[in-house]
Amino acid sequence: MKAICVKELKSYYLSPIGYVFTGVLLFFFGISYMQVLMTLSSSFIPTIYSSLFTWCMMILLPILTMRSFSEEMRNKTDQGLLTAPVGVGAIVFGKFLAAFLVFAIALGASLIPAVVISFFSSPDWPRIFGTVVGSLLYGAAMIAVGIFISSLTQSQMVAAISTFGVSLLLLLVGNLAGSVNNDFLSKLLTWISFDSRYQTFTKGVFSVSGTVFFLSVAAVFLFLTARKLESKRWS
Amino acid sequence: MIEVKNLSKRYGENVALNNISFSVGEHTVVGFLGPNGAGKSTTMNIITGYISASSGSVTVGGHSILDEPNEAKKLIGYMPEIPPLYPDMTVGEYLNFVYELKKVTLPREKHLKEICTLVRIGSVYGRLIANLSKGYRQRVGLAQALVGNPPALILDEPTVGLDPKQIIEVRNLIKSLGKDHTVLLSSHILPEVQAVADRIIIINRGRLAADGTPYELEHGQAGEQKVVVRLEGAPKQVQQALEGIHGVTHVRNFGEKEPGVWEYEVDGRGGAELRRPLFGIAAKRGWPILGMTGSELSLEDVFLRLTGSTYLSDNAQVQLSAKGGDRA
Repeated sequence: MKAICVKELKSYYLSPIGYVFTGVLLFFFGISYMQVLMTLSSSFIPTIYSSLFTWCMMILLPILTMRSFSEEMRNKTDQGLLTAPVGVGAIVFGKFLAAFLVFAIALGASLIPAVVISFFSSPDWPRIFGTVVGSLLYGAAMIAVGIFISSLTQSQMVAAISTFGVSLLLLLVGNLAGSVNNDFLSKLLTWISFDSRYQTFTKGVFSVSGTVFFLSVAAVFLFLTARKLESKRWS
Repeated sequence: MIEVKNLSKRYGENVALNNISFSVGEHTVVGFLGPNGAGKSTTMNIITGYISASSGSVTVGGHSILDEPNEAKKLIGYMPEIPPLYPDMTVGEYLNFVYELKKVTLPREKHLKEICTLVRIGSVYGRLIANLSKGYRQRVGLAQALVGNPPALILDEPTVGLDPKQIIEVRNLIKSLGKDHTVLLSSHILPEVQAVADRIIIINRGRLAADGTPYELEHGQAGEQKVVVRLEGAPKQVQQALEGIHGVTHVRNFGEKEPGVWEYEVDGRGGAELRRPLFGIAAKRGWPILGMTGSELSLEDVFLRLTGSTYLSDNAQVQLSAKGGDRA
């Protein structure tokens, strides 16, 4: 697992993907922090953070996960991985961990302006940390979904667009809940909505159910990815 | 070392492998021969655990590839038809990655250096794989199979894309590896297999067509023995007499080659010895023998016969007719 994770990390930062991902993310966060500075109120930091996060993640995370298995299958390098004495679970988790680290590093870097501002003001750190923890969990779940989608196709473009679609759906499904008359359906839509769970974190509340939900989604999709890769062995 | 039992693979209606069984012992080089699409790569992919079989079993060193995949895979070094290389890595980075992936415990630097010397990629160790020629990529593919010094090497068309000098080098390498490894290499090029293999398995349309040493294959099929003889005598009577020899199945007259001398090709079956009775008849009838050559089936003939019409229909048939034309 370690070998795969290190190889993936190197590959992210040897190709433009890691830098584009981090750069674009920090650029948008930079603009938001500029707004914070202009309003002269650090209390906007968590709000800007959370509202920006979901949109940035939706567009940027598919770029991070699109090549995960699609590229391996296209270049037939998956043959090297799957015939090595390594379990499929370790391969999948290694890839997941690498993508998650790239994401976490970028997210961590986005906090630098908040730290700098804290010298001159007193930002609402519990809310900011809550938002970051929620963002990490949300991101982990979306990365697992993205990796699963990339294991379904050899085309990186198809993987990216599909992940974007799923990401958008999970974001908007909470909005649909309000406009549905059926009570059960409304509850179900709220339950599967990533955004409604994420919003709890942005209020500075550590939600156990939210944590369990995001980690479970990640685990389920990593499991499905492993089964998809193994399907060659039992199909 | 490798035991394949009743292996079948179906893709929907299409049967890629049909009940194939063979075993490969230790320290031997086995050539896996067959025309394109015969099922060679499919078999190798099943042996290495990349894909599953529809039925049948594969064990490597006593470990089932399905039940104990990691134990079995530890014993295998696999070089697929398209080497699994990452173009954004240097050769060194890639081999180190494979070293870690396979959890090798041998001293890293020494082991990788030995492999690089063996397959002659030391000069490109620090170069990006993306910038390597096909020949070098092929060698790096071979190098990754050797990482960890696995006892069984499975090489799918290892010399594709190499120049003639490199082909000879790789053949010699495979021969030397065969002294202390089990090597199963596939090819659709007969001379390649003939040059290195102790044993040849011929596969065609997913079925096992033949299995034996090159000598056994040549002589096994050469139950059909051939003799080409030049005799001086009336062709009608000669032909009749030759057809009367025990074991002769067919006699062809190639025409008058010298004044009064005709050339005949005599086919025999069942390992029958043709030369002695032929001499006896010629001596008895007073027909001087002016030339006689025994022609056993070459491995190429065996391959073409076994792989049948699919292969004969294209390039091979051209070769055969060209040979016939020369004689006539």
